[in-house]
Parts: sequence; C-alpha cells; structure tokens
Amino acid sequence: MKKVVVIGSLGVIVYYLLSAFVAIPFGADIIKGVKEFYLQKSPDDLKVANVVTSIVVNFRGFDTLGEVTVLFLASTALGSILYHRRSQHSGLNPQRTSVEASAIVQTGAKIIFPFTVILGAYIFIHGHLTPGGGFQGGAIIATGFLLMLISYRKFFIKHNALTWIEAIAGSTFVILGLFGLIYAKNHDFLENFLPAGKLNDLLSGGIIGIIYIAVGFKVGAEITGILDTLLTVKETGLDPEEN
Amino acid sequence: MNYIGYFLISIGTIFLFLGGLGILRMPDFYTRLQAGTKASTLGAMSSILGIGFLQPEWFIKTFIIVVFIAIANPLSSHALARGSHKAKQMPFLKDEKIGDAYEAVEEKLHKNQKKEDKK
Repeated sequence: MKKVVVIGSLGVIVYYLLSAFVAIPFGADIIKGVKEFYLQKSPDDLKVANVVTSIVVNFRGFDTLGEVTVLFLASTALGSILYHRRSQHSGLNPQRTSVEASAIVQTGAKIIFPFTVILGAYIFIHGHLTPGGGFQGGAIIATGFLLMLISYRKFFIKHNALTWIEAIAGSTFVILGLFGLIYAKNHDFLENFLPAGKLNDLLSGGIIGIIYIAVGFKVGAEITGILDTLLTVKETGLDPEEN
Repeated sequence: MNYIGYFLISIGTIFLFLGGLGILRMPDFYTRLQAGTKASTLGAMSSILGIGFLQPEWFIKTFIIVVFIAIANPLSSHALARGSHKAKQMPFLKDEKIGDAYEAVEEKLHKNQKKEDKK
C-alpha cells in the first residue's frame, strides 16, 4: 500500500514537472534578457572565451570571493574540530590513521602524482579558455595529494606552508579587487583594470586568469589541509593499530 | 588507417560488453573485479586508441590517455582487491581445501616490514 502511494505521488510530481518543460518550445530562441547580455559581452568586451568563468569571476566576482571565504571557514572549522590537543605524550610523531599501502600502489602513486598536479595547474591556468577553473583545478591537485597521503604513511604536509599559500592567494584576490577601485574605468570593486587582450589567448580576460590562479592555489591548499587533518592523528599517543 | 580504427573500436566494445557481463554474472567480489578490470582495461584502451587512428590529429592525446589507463586501472584494482582482503572478504570457493594463498605472503611481508621499522 505504501509503495503504491509513493509511486502514485511520484508519478504526479514527474508528470507536472515534465509538462512544465513541454511548455518551452524545443530549439526555440530563448537567448534574451540577461542571458543575451552575458553571451555577447563576455567574448566581445572582456575577451573571455569561457562565458561561465566570466560570469563567475567578473560579473559576480564578489559572490566568488564569498564562496572562497565559505570554503576557508569550512576548512578552519573542520580543522578546529578534528585537531586533537597535544597530550602529555607529546614526544610522539603524528600518526596516519590508515594502514600502509602495498609497494605497487606506492610506486604507482609516485608516478601519477606529478601528472595530477600538472593537470590541476593546467585546468586553473586555462580557466578562462576551457571548461573548469580555480575550484576544479584545486580539487584535482588535492586529489593528487590525497593519493600520496593514503599510499605513504610517512608523507606529511607542512601546515605552515599551506597557511602561507592560503594567505597569499586569498589576499591576492582581495588586493586585485581593491586595485579595481583605483585603476578601473568605473572604479568598482573587482572590476577589470588590465588590458583585455585577444580572444582565445592565454593572456586574455584581464584579471580573470590571475584570480583563478589564486583561487586554484587557495582551494588546493585548503582541501589538502582538510584531507591531511582527516587522515592524521595529531600527536595524541594513540596508535591506530592498537585500537 | 580508418579500418584499423574501426577494428580497434569494435574489439574495444566487445571487451567492454564482456566486462559488463562479467560484473553481472560472476559469483563474488574478486572475480567481478577481475572481469571488470581486465576486460575494461583492454576495452577502454583499444577503443580510445581506435579513435586516435580515426582522427590522426588526436593520436598523441589518445596515446597519453591509453598510457594513463595502463598505469592507473591495474593499480586501482590491486588496491581494491587488497583492501577487500584486509576487510576479511572471503572468495567464493567450490573446494574448501584451497586455502588463502595470499594470507601467507602477506604475513611474510608484514614480518619484514616490522623488521624494517625496528631498524
């Protein structure tokens, strides 16, 4: 009886959802309003081939700054929850919670890791030309670090370096926005003040490329820090294999 | 050139189909992993290489992808099999007398590891 009710109500919902889509004529020219503005303005004025990037970083750059801040807050909160206080066994080294991977996985991880980092860097450097951008590239770089973290028990990441990368990348974003206040045409925060360049060039799109490189470093460092905090028991003297 | 490409792609699709069939039909985790990995490694590699033959300007890219699959796919399946063995997942055995051959090897490795750690 329950199943019949569930299936019936699902059917009703799906029917009305589909009928809403039927109302839009297939293949119709629905590029108008703000959509038209974005699609015309980003290749013509800003010389950005990837319209999504131009919306995310240029038209809605302040929103992206907020997103980066949210990610930063999330990683800080996770770190503060998961960080075990230094106990009286402070002579011990940090411990990885996973068991040692086999030699095959270790060798393979060593081979794949640099290429993963290169792919991530490629994605955030070409954020204004091809699909992807700072967030995706940073996530890919963090995946490479995760591979190394789960295959080597003795692979540790210096949190000081991560903090510095995050700080420099985040302040680059804000400082570029402040430069927009001074040098840009309309004196707006995060407005483009660099020359736009040529469409489909690597050095095009003004500040978008620089901002996405900063975002890539920041996201990569943050997610790597989160993964390292999740996988490492900090000097509590608890041996994961004994428990 | 085109015919080589079509030939490779058809081999690839056959092996991918067999891999999917194997995942459905095999009795336990290890044999499924075997079917899924071996068949899909060859299937994906040959079909991607076939596309490289059909579009010669993509050949280098497809070759890089094939090399990546050749490295990553066996690696991940090895890690999965080892992990499931560590989680005490028993293989499907018709003859109970066949023992767990990996167990002995693993114990030996573990002893060596502990010796190294002590050093």
